[in-house]
Amino acid sequence: MRQARLFVLIIGLLTTFALVVAACGGGNGDDGGEPASQPGDGGNADGGSQESGSSVSGRVTISGSSTVEPISVRVAELFEDVQPDVRVTVDGPGTGDGFKLFCEGETDISDASRPIKESEAADCAEAGIEYVELRVGIDGIAVMTGENNPVDCVSFKDIYGMVGPESTGFGSWSDAGSLSGLETSNLPDASLDIYGPGEESGTFDSFVEIVLEHIADERGQDATTRPDYNANADDNVIIQGIQSSDTSFGWVGFAFAAHASGVKLLQVDGGDGCKSANADTIASGEYPVSRALYIYVNKANAVASPALTAYVDFYLSDEGLGTAVSQVGYVNLTDDAKSATRANWSGR
Amino acid sequence: MAKARLIGDRTSRVMVQAMERRAADVRGRVFQFSLLATLLISLFILGVLIADVMIDAWGLLTGRPGGFLSGTMRSLSDDPKLGVQQALVGTFWIAVFVAVLAFPIGIGAAIWLEEYAPRNRFTRFIELNIRNLAGVPSIVYGLLGLFLFVQSLGDLTGGKSIAAAGITLAILVLPIVIITAQEAIRAVPQGLKEGAYGVGATKWTMIRSQVLPYAAPGIFTGTLLSMSRGIGEAAPLLLVGAVSGRLGGNPGFFDLSAINAESFMAMPVIIVEWVQNSGRDPGFAEAAAAAIVVLLVFVILMNAAAILLRNHFEKKRG
Repeated sequence: MRQARLFVLIIGLLTTFALVVAACGGGNGDDGGEPASQPGDGGNADGGSQESGSSVSGRVTISGSSTVEPISVRVAELFEDVQPDVRVTVDGPGTGDGFKLFCEGETDISDASRPIKESEAADCAEAGIEYVELRVGIDGIAVMTGENNPVDCVSFKDIYGMVGPESTGFGSWSDAGSLSGLETSNLPDASLDIYGPGEESGTFDSFVEIVLEHIADERGQDATTRPDYNANADDNVIIQGIQSSDTSFGWVGFAFAAHASGVKLLQVDGGDGCKSANADTIASGEYPVSRALYIYVNKANAVASPALTAYVDFYLSDEGLGTAVSQVGYVNLTDDAKSATRANWSGR
Repeated sequence: MAKARLIGDRTSRVMVQAMERRAADVRGRVFQFSLLATLLISLFILGVLIADVMIDAWGLLTGRPGGFLSGTMRSLSDDPKLGVQQALVGTFWIAVFVAVLAFPIGIGAAIWLEEYAPRNRFTRFIELNIRNLAGVPSIVYGLLGLFLFVQSLGDLTGGKSIAAAGITLAILVLPIVIITAQEAIRAVPQGLKEGAYGVGATKWTMIRSQVLPYAAPGIFTGTLLSMSRGIGEAAPLLLVGAVSGRLGGNPGFFDLSAINAESFMAMPVIIVEWVQNSGRDPGFAEAAAAAIVVLLVFVILMNAAAILLRNHFEKKRG
């Protein structure tokens, strides 16, 4: 008896806290505009009632790449203003985990920072899940140095020699050439100060996958960077580091580097000659340190759920492929590629 | 009577002498100051941490406190709708689950172990394992929660839900609740129990009327501190499946459908999430600091509840 009363007391105290918070929140008059009803109905995107004209309601469940996650979230936020009754949930455990859930039928859309693998496609086929692949944006990484550095272009092999797993302890650009069997360009003997995002960053993963992984595999090394560089989560700090020395070396997401001053964006040779980084070369895929970002949509769910269809329609509108993609720091597709994506969706 | 006063007088005379000849005890003073220094160091570190977080969070928390408390997860840090309500709702209900599940089970187990269990190899084995469980890394409980409450019992809990997370954290704090409650019960003076038996009480009456009221302050301090620890855990919740990008819907605190909805958020996880987001959008560092302050206030309020309860029972104990 006494115990029971005590638990009531504890819960009462917590409740008071909740009430206070709720009251504070209410004062601002902004509660996200969500309908209070709609209890957990378990199913993904099972339609719901269509009240008037173009208004739809329902759920959309998205999982997959943490790189693409911010785009899907931003699209959902913009979409919320148009269709407030659609509840979009986005998770970002990684491209591989996302496809696993997608091919089990757990999610409506899978975010991906690479095309689906054959083994994953086979899993989907086995489970009878048909999908449509839509390219939505491009993740470009700018490779930079100080403003006054005479070096203009580096190859993937140069980068591997300077920041790859075998370069630990290298203090000069020319040290990269000392690795046996690695054909580097003629790099200057100048002090090498490296700045880049830390391992927790999606940009780190992309950089390793695009630039280092292939060479590291060939040389029987782990696909990672050297551990002894100035890693920081804040792109501003990385840019400041690169500005601080003429012979610095570093990399950040292109959208961030494009607006930076006091740094020089290096051209990169991925095997087809030196290519400079700008929105056009990244969008066209000419600049090698970039990769396409995709969403995969479950076809059957799209037929069954007007909410999912409306969300993807919105995703592929200019607000999605244009505004949302650039707001969260990625490069827009070229107009041709946008049309191709839209054609894929309408021809599903 | 006269003899007692004589002893008293002599004691105070010795004391006065000791105090007048005080220069001697150098070692004692050194020891005392080093103890004080250890206290000051830990307080200093805590102070720096809190000050650092408060400075980072200040702009956001004073700028739009209501909006931050009622806001949702957003993709851009300068979004006026950015806030922690979804995470606070999650943490609030997880705390309720811990209170409702871990406290009665833990306190019950402690009473049985202390008052009823025979002292044999079997109960010693149980106690040893409870102590071991209290030291198991929280991520292991996360795995348990993932396999048991998310996957096997998914129909009951709703999958990656507040219910699954709450049950997982209740199990995580259970060993600590049992141990602290046991300590509190063990501290009940034997004389009290014997007195109860002496006036003809049964074992049940003795426990109810003597042991529990006497042990209550200790039990409640221990259990609520363990809950504070539980709701600060991020690792098990990440495994149980707290959402990282966006949660559809923003349920209120008393919207019961949120409990077994198939996605949830919690304060420690939103802090992890925003710290990671700060790589892409540095403004999230401020949001993460503000979320830390909100979680701190939540925990302080819970500890205040523990202190109030303890005082209440200490008064009763007299």
